[in-house]
Amino acid sequence: MMRNDPIKHVFIWPAVLVVLAISIFPLIYSFTTSFLSYRLIPPIPPRVVWLGNYVSLLQEPRFWNAIFTTTLIAFIAVGVQYAIGFGVALALNARVPGERLFRVALLLPMLLAPVAVALVARMIFNPTMGPLNQFLSMFGLANLPFLTNGRWALACIIAVEIWQWTPFIILMMLAGLQTLPEDVYEAAELENASAWQQFWGITFPMMLPISAAVVFIRLIESYKIMDTVFVMTGGGPGVDTETLTLFAYQEGFKKFNLGYTSALSFLFLIAITIIGVTYLALLRPHLEKRR
Amino acid sequence: MSGQGLTGLSSWSRRLVAIGVLAWCLISVFPLYWVVVTAFKTPPGVVGGPTYIPFVDFTPTLQPFIDLYQGIRGEFFRTFLNSTIVGMSAAAIATAIGAMAAYALVRFEFRVRFGAGLIFFLLALGGYLLFNNSLGFTRAQALLLAFPIALAAAILANRLPLPGPILGNEDILFWFVSQRMFPPIVTAFALYLLYSEIGRLGFQLIDSYVGLTLCYVAFSLPIVVWLMRDFFEAIPIEVEEAAMVDNVPSWRIFLSIVVPMSMNGLLATFMITLAFVWNEFLFALFLTNSRWQTLPILVAGQNSQRGDEWWAISAAALVAIIPMMIMAALLSRMMRSGLLLGAIK
Repeated sequence: MMRNDPIKHVFIWPAVLVVLAISIFPLIYSFTTSFLSYRLIPPIPPRVVWLGNYVSLLQEPRFWNAIFTTTLIAFIAVGVQYAIGFGVALALNARVPGERLFRVALLLPMLLAPVAVALVARMIFNPTMGPLNQFLSMFGLANLPFLTNGRWALACIIAVEIWQWTPFIILMMLAGLQTLPEDVYEAAELENASAWQQFWGITFPMMLPISAAVVFIRLIESYKIMDTVFVMTGGGPGVDTETLTLFAYQEGFKKFNLGYTSALSFLFLIAITIIGVTYLALLRPHLEKRR
Repeated sequence: MSGQGLTGLSSWSRRLVAIGVLAWCLISVFPLYWVVVTAFKTPPGVVGGPTYIPFVDFTPTLQPFIDLYQGIRGEFFRTFLNSTIVGMSAAAIATAIGAMAAYALVRFEFRVRFGAGLIFFLLALGGYLLFNNSLGFTRAQALLLAFPIALAAAILANRLPLPGPILGNEDILFWFVSQRMFPPIVTAFALYLLYSEIGRLGFQLIDSYVGLTLCYVAFSLPIVVWLMRDFFEAIPIEVEEAAMVDNVPSWRIFLSIVVPMSMNGLLATFMITLAFVWNEFLFALFLTNSRWQTLPILVAGQNSQRGDEWWAISAAALVAIIPMMIMAALLSRMMRSGLLLGAIK
């Protein structure tokens, strides 16, 4: 039942005003700036270049490199997170011995500051004094260039992402698993369906809507990755691990190239929107079939 | 929920699953153990290669923490205080006004004409361009002028029978939540420029308590509205209806019935928001430089300042991590009581 009472405006307006002010303002500001050639250092008066910033960005290899790197990190990290997260959630849901103890340990990583986590990761991935090096030395793989080789560095960043955000998937999937109806499984049990068949026939399809939502949230969040990379590699070696946000930061805050940075952040917004819409469009037929 | 899952498996594969989960747990916990241990090491204990067990492998010392407290590696004490003050107030304000908005979206009916929204956006954009380019106002002044005009026009326009679709509560909720989809760099950089222009008008927002808190409140609101809506929807409406029959005004129903009933939800939302604000890096990087610097910025700075002084780096990381560890313990308690179930529907 919905009420109608003028007081509703008192309830909703503070939140709307704050969000409008803090999100629409900058949006308009950077939207208009993205059509200007505008630098603070050296101070040149703004000049209208229309789509000039966008064109030069699209021709810039560093931009495509950043898009590629970010996409790689996001998709691989979220894929692995989902696989591990779903697995652990299934195990916890089935009352693995000692699950109570696990819960705090499993929840922890996602609540920690990515900056601090990245610092710890730097120590662990240290090629001479780190514990991982010691461990791998036992297999004859000493002094691997963890953070100084482009591919290794990318793999390390992905590993840290997985370490930190799998708990989120575990948490969400576990909550979802607990809402599944029990009688379906009892029926399957009567028909002697194996655990494997039960998973693919019942659990997975019924968890599909939640899975879709969780993966969507993680994917969008992963595209914003910045702090971890900032501390672990600073985008290096070279620009091998430079993500979109880091690229925008370098251009904007180090070079104060305002028009260019605004155009960059808008292209980023467009890219995220395209990915989001494509993802939802691809999944929609599967989701609707189940209802 | 118990009938499902491992019952169909043999005891051997049950054990395999348990080992798998245990392995993931160890991977989760090891880096934390490592940072705790390293924070108590002396310089020789670090350089000599990895050591793991205090008192056996190395002699623990409190020196890194004493250094931190004395401010040898940056003003940790004040930065910690900054993070606490900004985090607490942003989380409290966001939870309060976010909960109000979520309650309004659950219990009252809203209709916004799409045309009115469009008018708002076009007037804000057009007004900004007009004031800035033709009438010679600065960019910040132009924005501050265009905003109320556009808002007033949109509110008036909402009463007119404009063509186009009418948006309901679900759409408003979607608008709130979609703010989270925005890459924060879009906002952060523009907000930095806007703040510095407003600063030139004589009202300092960069590196100030108000500026940072305001930004974090806006940044947290989507999550708060999203989480709180589910908690409020779970409250049986009969209680509220009984109060309405007695002519209790809506704001009193909210304060004295709804809020107490959803105290757990409010608390969990507050803690989740606090965790987000506490760990946030990008906005703090742009919007602060000295006085109101927050912990993540200071911690990130340890890296470049001091190459391999791991004892100091670990102690710094621990300062940022420990409050969240305590919170994880509290949250997992709430999680066990099924509290976060509603959050994902």
